[in-house]
Parts: sequence; structure tokens; C-alpha cells
Amino acid sequence: MDAKYLALVQMAVGGGVMGMAYALVAYGFQLTYAAGKAVNFGQGELVMLGAFAGITLSGIGLPYWAVVPGAMVVGALLGWFIERVAVRLALKQRNEGWILLTIIVGLFALSSVENIWGREDRPFPVPWPAEALDFFGISFTWSELAIVVGALGMMTLVELAKRYTMAGIAVQAVSADPDAAELCGIRSQSAISLSWAVSGAAAAFAGTVIGPVTTVGPTMAAALTLKAFSVAVVAGLDSGFGLVIAGVALGAAENLSGYALGSGWREAPGLILLILALALRPQGVFGKKIIRKV
Amino acid sequence: MLKVENLRAGYSGDDAVRGISIEVTEGSCIALVGANGAGKSTLAKTLCGLLTPRGGRVIFDGKEITGLSASEVARRGLCLCPEGRRVFGPLTVEENLLLGAYPRLPSFGPFRRAASGDLQRIYAMFPRLRERRSQQAGSLSGGEQQMLAIGRVLMANPRFVVLDEPSMGLAPLVVKEVFEAICSLHASGMTILLSEQFAKIALVVSNYAYIIERGSVVLEGASKGLAENPAVMSAYLG
Ligand SMILES: Nc1ncnc2c1ncn2[C@@H]1O[C@H](COP(=O)(O)OP(=O)(O)OP(=O)(O)O)[C@@H](O)[C@H]1O
Ligand SMILES: [Mg+2]
Repeated sequence: MDAKYLALVQMAVGGGVMGMAYALVAYGFQLTYAAGKAVNFGQGELVMLGAFAGITLSGIGLPYWAVVPGAMVVGALLGWFIERVAVRLALKQRNEGWILLTIIVGLFALSSVENIWGREDRPFPVPWPAEALDFFGISFTWSELAIVVGALGMMTLVELAKRYTMAGIAVQAVSADPDAAELCGIRSQSAISLSWAVSGAAAAFAGTVIGPVTTVGPTMAAALTLKAFSVAVVAGLDSGFGLVIAGVALGAAENLSGYALGSGWREAPGLILLILALALRPQGVFGKKIIRKV
Repeated sequence: MLKVENLRAGYSGDDAVRGISIEVTEGSCIALVGANGAGKSTLAKTLCGLLTPRGGRVIFDGKEITGLSASEVARRGLCLCPEGRRVFGPLTVEENLLLGAYPRLPSFGPFRRAASGDLQRIYAMFPRLRERRSQQAGSLSGGEQQMLAIGRVLMANPRFVVLDEPSMGLAPLVVKEVFEAICSLHASGMTILLSEQFAKIALVVSNYAYIIERGSVVLEGASKGLAENPAVMSAYLG
């Protein structure tokens, strides 16, 4: 194969791998949106906190296989907490103040992280070797493989739980018709809390698979929120694995535009995508659903 | 079994239910009849906790349940089959039925086994639901959706069911089928509060009825007597 062509494919694959991570973070938006019609604009900060929790847990000597679930528990508690202290109150007032509140909670998390762990990026320790694997001339690392397997595995697992457990079916019922769900004896508020906890756990999990590839620092948060949000808006907040396609496409486009136009242009595709999506959805991202609530 | 005292409730503006008192004894079938917008659904929703009352009390089984959330009221055995059916369209027929039994089923365990007896009971009652059990509820016909809504309420093993407008939007033949199901439910000893615009049929299946107009009870009495009173029929029930 032509070497130049191969380099392009290599870049697209590397970007696509990061795109899987965006899709996983965006999946967290879908989860909370389905049940409670709200999302956490500090989701990127949750990813970062999950990664820092993972680093801290490894620091005290836990093996990797305990670090990941530990970070997910931290993420689940944080997700639950954000819904409890910020989002629920704003939605009770029937306004969109939750958008601002989740951003504020995120900023608070960010400055806490800077105070506790400092501003510099840190490596995320992993048990596998650092050398790259080769697949028909395309090389990728074990850590990149972990992103792909982890993102797909996590989304599949949650989707299976939604279909094959009563708790999951109840969450689907709450997202279809909260009043009718209440009439079945389902505490719709608990279903919403559960979805925020799962979303938080997914974000923290994303942190533990992204961290080894990008290193972990306070700057990862905002960029991830923005990219995941672009992906979620393009693929739709309602549901579906369209996220994976949108995420991979965005990740690949970032790397290729960085290559073609210079590294300063890496962020351009995400922004263009977001602007296009917002322009093509004049009713707003949250559309009719919010209006019905008001 | 159920006692409603001077209940008031409404939406943004004036009260839609203006001080209604009703009583339902165990094993009876009580009808609420009245024209469009009389306040029947508002009363039903307030009883079952979907709306917060502005005044008055609801007493179920000797305990005050005024202002409890709908899920708590349902868990006590007072279950509403809402107006417009409100089945979970994207979910399957069987999932809808299972959700009716939600408080009894394990959240993360093998729920189908735990519910299979109740499912068989509902399928025996509505064989059409068995045929369509893996179909999306939203793709059922109106009559089938009404059967599903009733089946879903019965899955809760309720001690009291409130049926709001079960005939809404259904063809006469289907209405007959739905009311046959309601009659056999009543015959099996279930306590029923039936809110219905279609007065003639409601007065046939019920023992006692309240006629509601503009948010108040204007007349009450044994259903048979009301149905035989031509003045009542023409004045209130068109
Ligand atoms: N969601 C709502 N928001 C505001 N007002 C409402 C709402 N639902 C009903 N109303 C008003 O409350 C009043 C009573 O309505 P309700 O639905 O209780 O009547 P109903 O007796 O059930 O009528 P129908 O036989 O048509 O179902 C009506 O004036 C109606 O316009
Ligand atoms: Mg009504």
C-alpha cells in the first residue's frame, strides 16, 4: 500500500478510537436525557474526576481490575449527587436553570481538581505493555484497544440491562410516560436518580480508558464535554448506536483536519458539527420535550 | 373502602373539581358520569395522586392518602387505568404487563418467572394480548390498547381500580367487549370506580352513580333508579 495513504488511514484510525471515547461520554447524555429530560453539562469534568479517582486508587496500591470499578462507583455517586442537588431543584421550578447549575458544578469540580492534584498532566497506570500492535500495517496500542472494547462493552452492557432487567424496563417506561409509570407504582424519581448514577459511572469509566491514551489533567474536561455534546446532538439525544458512528466520524475528522490544516485546526470539526446541528434544529436541542414540561 | 371528602383540585386556573364527596364500599362498582369537561378525570387523577389536591381529604382503607405520590397510592392497591390508555408505546405488550406488577418483581433478578402466573391470568382474560405479546404496544389497535391498559392495572393485584373513560375512541362492538371485561371483573369481587361519559352503559354496569357537572356532584343514587328516570337522562346525560 502507498505509504502516504497508509499514514492517512493510520490517522483516521487513531482519531476514530478517540471518537469511540466521545461516543461513550455522549452515551451518558442520552441516559439522563431519556429518563429525566436533562443532561449534565459537566460530563467532561466527571470523566476527568473518574480518571483522577483511578489514578488515586492505583496510587494506594489497588490493582487495575479494582481501580476501574472503584472509579465507576465514584462516578456513580457524583452523577447521583449532581441530579440530587442541582438538576432536580431546577426542574421542579420548571425552568432551564439546570443547564447553568450543571456547568457550575463542573467548574467547581475543575477548580477542586486543580487544588488537589495540580494542573500538570499525569500518566494513568495500566497493566498492559506500552508497545504498539500491528494490524495490516496500521498500528495501535493496547490502551487504544481498551477504549474501543471498553466503550462498546459498556454501552452494550447498559443497553442489555435496560432491556432485560425490570429496573431497566422501568427506566424506559419513565422515559416514555412518567405519569403512567407512576401509576404502575414506579417511583419515577428513583428511575431518574438511577439513570444519573449509571451515566456518572459511564463517564468515570470513560476516564479510566481515555486516561491511559491522553494522560490525565484538568484540561481534558471542557474539550470532552463539547465533543461529546456535538456527537449527542448529531446522533440524537433520544437513543441509538448512531452515537458510535457520529463519534468515530468526528474523531477521524479531527485527526485528518489537524494533519491537513495544521494542529490548531483539530478542534474545528467538532465546532462546525455543533454549529451545523444547532442551525439545522431551530427548535433547539431539547426541542418539544422541555416545552411540554413547562 | 374509599372515602373522598370535599375534594378540590385543578390546573393553572380555577378549580376543576370543586368540593366533591363520594364513598365507595368494598365490592361495589360506582360510576362517575358527566359531560365533557365535567371534572371526572381531574377527580380520578387527584384520587390516585397524579394531581395534588387543593383541599379536602382522600381516605383509603381507613388511612388518609391525600397528597401521596401516585406510585405510593398504587403500591397501596388503589390503581388508576388512565384516560387515553397511556400504554408504553415503545415497549412490548408483555413488558407493559410486567410493569403493572413492578413493585412485586425483582428489579435485577429473574422477573419473568416471578410474574408468569399473573401473566397467564391476564392472557386467559384477554387472549388477544397473548397473541401480540412481543409486539410494540404502540402498534396495537385502540381496543387492544384498552385491554392492555386494563390488563396492566390488574397485574398490580389491585384492591380497587379506577377506570377512566375505558370506552373512549372505541367502536361500539369493542366498547361492548371492554365492558364485558369490566362486568366480569366486578363479578369476581373487584371494587371499581368507573368514570364514563357514555352514561347508558355506565349505569348498566354500576350499582350506584354520581352525576358530575362543572366540578360538583349534582345528583347521586342507585344506578338503576337514575337510568329509569327520563328527566335525569335528558337533563344530564344527553
Ligand atoms: N391538563 C390540563 N390542564 C389544564 N386544564 C385541564 C387539563 N385537563 C383538564 N383540564 C380542564 O379541567 C376541566 C375538567 O376536565 P376533566 O378532564 O376532568 O373532564 P372530564 O369530565 O374527564 O371530561 P371528558 O369526559 O372529556 O374526559 C375542563 O375544563 C378541562 O378543560
Ligand atoms: Mg375525562
